[in-house]
Amino acid sequence: MKLICRNASMPYRMNLPLIALLALLLSASCAKKADTGADADVTTRGSIEVTARLEEIRGDLIDDPMYDYAHVMKYKVLQVHRGQVDTETIYVGHYNPAEPRAGVADARVQEIGGNVRQFRVGDTHRMALEVPIDDHYMGGIINKYFGEVDDPIYWAVWTNRVTQ
Amino acid sequence: MSTKRMLLLVALATGIILVPAVSGAQDEGAAQLAKEVGGKGWIGYAARGENGTWDLFLMRPDGSQRRNITNTPDYEEGGPRFSPDGQRLLYRRFPKGTVIHHDRWGFQGDLMIARADGSEPKQIGGDREYPWASWSPDGKQIACLTMKGIQIVDLETKKVVRELPRKGIYQQLFWSPDGQWFCGVANARIMWTVVRMNVETGELNIVHEFQSCTPDWFGDSKHIIYPCRPAGQNGYGFTQLWMSDGGGKEARMIYGEDGFHIYGGALSPDDRYVLFTRCGADGGGSEDSGAPICVMRMSDAPAIAGPSPALRKVHPDAKDAPVLQLADGWEPCWTYAETGAKE
Repeated sequence: MKLICRNASMPYRMNLPLIALLALLLSASCAKKADTGADADVTTRGSIEVTARLEEIRGDLIDDPMYDYAHVMKYKVLQVHRGQVDTETIYVGHYNPAEPRAGVADARVQEIGGNVRQFRVGDTHRMALEVPIDDHYMGGIINKYFGEVDDPIYWAVWTNRVTQ
Repeated sequence: MSTKRMLLLVALATGIILVPAVSGAQDEGAAQLAKEVGGKGWIGYAARGENGTWDLFLMRPDGSQRRNITNTPDYEEGGPRFSPDGQRLLYRRFPKGTVIHHDRWGFQGDLMIARADGSEPKQIGGDREYPWASWSPDGKQIACLTMKGIQIVDLETKKVVRELPRKGIYQQLFWSPDGQWFCGVANARIMWTVVRMNVETGELNIVHEFQSCTPDWFGDSKHIIYPCRPAGQNGYGFTQLWMSDGGGKEARMIYGEDGFHIYGGALSPDDRYVLFTRCGADGGGSEDSGAPICVMRMSDAPAIAGPSPALRKVHPDAKDAPVLQLADGWEPCWTYAETGAKE
């Protein structure tokens, strides 16, 4: 990801220390915004690691603390970091997606997390994945692509937000 | 002295909690039902003990002779199931303070097997081992539902003697009394689908789709009982008790009551009586203190209790059946074996 953050044309009369301070602040601000999503968890967990854009969430995300479930979402793969992904589009099951990833681990699914707070179409995520979902998760699955797509469903182990 | 008054006095004298679910005209019917089932074996269930933790209890099907058979202040216990011969109890034991989640309990804690009166408890595995264990017809094996698949385990050697793909089944696996089938809850076309699997071939068929769970077998191995929260209700809706043939062709309601969620469906060994719990909150109450355990005649199904105007519209032929409301508990089971409890 290339970061474009330049202070190209500054007024001549501004003094140098002020310019330097502004440049530093601007640079820091730009650095904060850009995030590849890479961290010690997403780069080591699961057998597959991708950066992908969330293309579609079919159906409503149910926020019911009584019941656990995974919701299958459609992604466009932008980059494969680890493992093998043969298709540009993948279908990923996220556990209890109404909850922020940082607090989603529970007695049923203990090794899961990330920094995504909310799933929104158009967002880009860096994800550690496993496949197929049934080998790594035993619980209810909302799959609105059932009968339409035969592709294996991936299981999201770690989901971090990517910002550009 | 009237029969009803005599029953009340006996109940008070013995500490029985026996309250008809339907008051007024139903009292007499409930009293007759209590008399009819009182000597028919034992009901095993989990409930809060005096120490505040979940313990296992036995009581007669009329609510009498209730006793705590584990009484373990350092553990929580739940999910009891009599072995097919009624001589043993299989259950799970959790560390003290564990909140027993109605959908997770089967894979948490330790699998335990004790004599049917709670004596000689033996820990079969460690934490989370032998998940969703269910008796084989001869009581020598258990079927477990793991992430890898359905495992049939020999209880004496603890060896996995057979493994089948689970084909989307994710909880509440139960082996039929004739040994030919499993039932469970699966992701089929949609989640929360009750399914039946042929033990020999692994072939799976849908029994009932949509918000159906906690299935259990009738003694005939041909029918399955399960709670279901059907679509088309106002708002969240209420869970009713349903049954179907194993092929999923003849589903019908057994008992429903607007305002209550009906869970814990189980049969007497001869399929003549139905056990269930009646809970104001969804889930059956395992996270709290359970819900009243109820007994009803199968011949009175379909039955509806309370005003339940919406439900009566959907099931105009349903009766107002006598229902015994017993002690609070969770996941009851029934045996006709007479070895259930020490005097």
